[in-house]
Amino acid sequence: MLSMSSDIVSSKLLFREGDESAYELFIGPQHPSSGHMRFIVRLRGDIIVSVDPDIGYVHRTMEKLAEGREAIKAIPLLERLTIIDSHNATVALVTALERLLDAEPPPRALYLRTLLSEINRIASHLYGMGIAGIMLNHSTMFMWAFGDREVWLQLAEELTGARLTHTYSIPGGVRRDLPQGFKERFEKAARYMEKRLEDYMKIFFRNPQVASRYEGVGVLRKSEAQKLGIVGPNLRASGVKYDARLADDYCAYSELEFEVPVREEGDCMARMLVRVEEIRQSLSIIRQVLDKMPSGPILAEKYLKLLPPKIREQATRSGHVKFPGVFATLKLPAGEAVARAEMGHGEIFYHVVSDGSAKPYRLRVVTPSFRNVVLFRYLPPGHRFMDFPAIYGSLDYFPPESDR
Amino acid sequence: MGIDLVNLLIRLLLSPRVFAPVVFPGLLTALIVLLIIIWAERKIAARIQMRVGPLYVTRHFGGVLQMLADGTRYMFQEFIIPETADRIPFVLAPVLALVLAILPFAFIPSAPKFAPVTSPLSLPAVLAVLSAIPISVLLMGWSSNNKFSIQGAVREAFMSLAYEIPLFISALSMAILYGTMSLEEMVDKQPIPGFLLNPIAAFTFLVSMVMSAGKLPFDIVEGEQEIVAGPYVEYTGIIFGIGMGLAYLKLYALSLVYTIIFLSGWEPLPEVLYRFYPGVAGIFLFAKAFLLMLFVVFLRSVYGRYRLDQAIRIGWRIYFVLSVISLVFSVGVKVITCV
Repeated sequence: MLSMSSDIVSSKLLFREGDESAYELFIGPQHPSSGHMRFIVRLRGDIIVSVDPDIGYVHRTMEKLAEGREAIKAIPLLERLTIIDSHNATVALVTALERLLDAEPPPRALYLRTLLSEINRIASHLYGMGIAGIMLNHSTMFMWAFGDREVWLQLAEELTGARLTHTYSIPGGVRRDLPQGFKERFEKAARYMEKRLEDYMKIFFRNPQVASRYEGVGVLRKSEAQKLGIVGPNLRASGVKYDARLADDYCAYSELEFEVPVREEGDCMARMLVRVEEIRQSLSIIRQVLDKMPSGPILAEKYLKLLPPKIREQATRSGHVKFPGVFATLKLPAGEAVARAEMGHGEIFYHVVSDGSAKPYRLRVVTPSFRNVVLFRYLPPGHRFMDFPAIYGSLDYFPPESDR
Repeated sequence: MGIDLVNLLIRLLLSPRVFAPVVFPGLLTALIVLLIIIWAERKIAARIQMRVGPLYVTRHFGGVLQMLADGTRYMFQEFIIPETADRIPFVLAPVLALVLAILPFAFIPSAPKFAPVTSPLSLPAVLAVLSAIPISVLLMGWSSNNKFSIQGAVREAFMSLAYEIPLFISALSMAILYGTMSLEEMVDKQPIPGFLLNPIAAFTFLVSMVMSAGKLPFDIVEGEQEIVAGPYVEYTGIIFGIGMGLAYLKLYALSLVYTIIFLSGWEPLPEVLYRFYPGVAGIFLFAKAFLLMLFVVFLRSVYGRYRLDQAIRIGWRIYFVLSVISLVFSVGVKVITCV
């Protein structure tokens, strides 16, 4: 499989190693549109012949760090993978830990997780769209998306107490209950967002200048996307209907109705429009969550009864669970567990191995950006140099997530 | 004796040969326009993008002096010449570019019989001087000896081929229509504003002007997202400021020319001001040109950047053809009106 995918990649390259006639440009790490990484772009005339994504510039040894601390502390650590999408990045870890601990979260907690996951997804897509906008030097799209993202960060803050590093899901449940009046405030935000999505369509996606930059550029065919193992909106824009929310049973997604937006074109425009459609779907999911939200505890009975009676009573009354002290030394039963979740960027996969101590023996994480980074080598050759930022923007690639 | 000298100085200053190119609408006004238009561009974009824009310098006036503060900072910044750069062209090219950007004001009249250099060929003179700027930008990029700046220089060369020809032909089609190449006479020959006489030429000239000034959607030469700052990438301090101001100076000169050719210049002439002193009678010329500039910088809030090959294709396949059509149109109108 590996050799097969590397064959596909090299089949697209227009450049042989050691060819010195190509004009070599080092894009990044200090460059307006490189992000935290370096791309070695080789040009012949105005045509890209090869791109080497030089990954690892923001590698922080996340997996190794997670081995050195108690399992519970891996949650705030691994949030830093993708700070813009931190709940989606860690909900799979929590699910894996729960599978290992055999702790079943109560239904209300699952619904609350779904709620925050979808808020995160909207914020993450807005971030990606903003960056894609500025990569075409479309400053209005950039500012609008980043400004409107604030609405969702504030909702998340209201729910969890933090704008970005929520640390909301804990094994067996969530930390806080739904605040009062959240539904009304969400409804206001959702109406605003729906209006804004129309504005985005007008200023950006239906703008002839943007369309000419995106349509037919960076086309990823269905078969290629499958062979390369692409995930997330990039995969769905190529016509493959795959979503970890359907593939794995986590949060409350099995009880909710939503569509997985798919497009057939596989070009930059399709990748962007899939994200717009996903924001609409997320709004509908949150509406359902708030309507269907069951009442009950937000932490598994198993852990709730470990709390001292006074704190337990306070927790049920106020809806705020302080981290129960027991969590700090929670012993993971020996064994292994896997879980996956759909982030804004695609599917994230966790593999937790435990030898029975409080610290995981091995914590493996495969992030969506890590799986999508191959597209940088694969898509740009044959395109104009100025297509490079357009393709980069449309991939919604996030270097810290890939580098871990 | 002393009074004579003062009188002489005042007369020298108030003569069209000095006042027009140096004070209004020339150098001094151009610098003020430069400060205000960059501020206005940022404020307009901020308004559309739900931001505040420049604010802290002169807070009571909405931060209008922000550019002056930035410029002052540029003045005191170290000017670094890279080891690998070709020193003499590296330093001379920006100066050359600035001179070429200011030179057109020597030919642009601001009121009837108030042109610095009265020439029957002032229109081609202005365009010729402006079309020499890309050469100095090319020199800047090449002498910087940086991979990004060479890319930028090559882009400048490509782009100038794409816009110069439509710009010239659409301007010359108006010259045919008016039967003169003198900017001063062109205003008199407009019974109705020129853009109504030949809308095709007006549109082509406008787009070529945006391309020439390197404003969005054609800011390809600077191309921040690909080549950082294009030809200006190695420049620091005030020379970088010149590179930044160059586009706006070019835009200002071309806006004045556009106003004269297509928007009936300084008409309606304020008689009172003209009798007081002809040099200040061009306020309508200035106001129209300024509004035009505001429109051009507003485009930044609407568009992103076209790709280089798309812009060249637009230049050659659409605007070159349109400019030729406008030429034919002008000849047609001329023939009909003569008959």
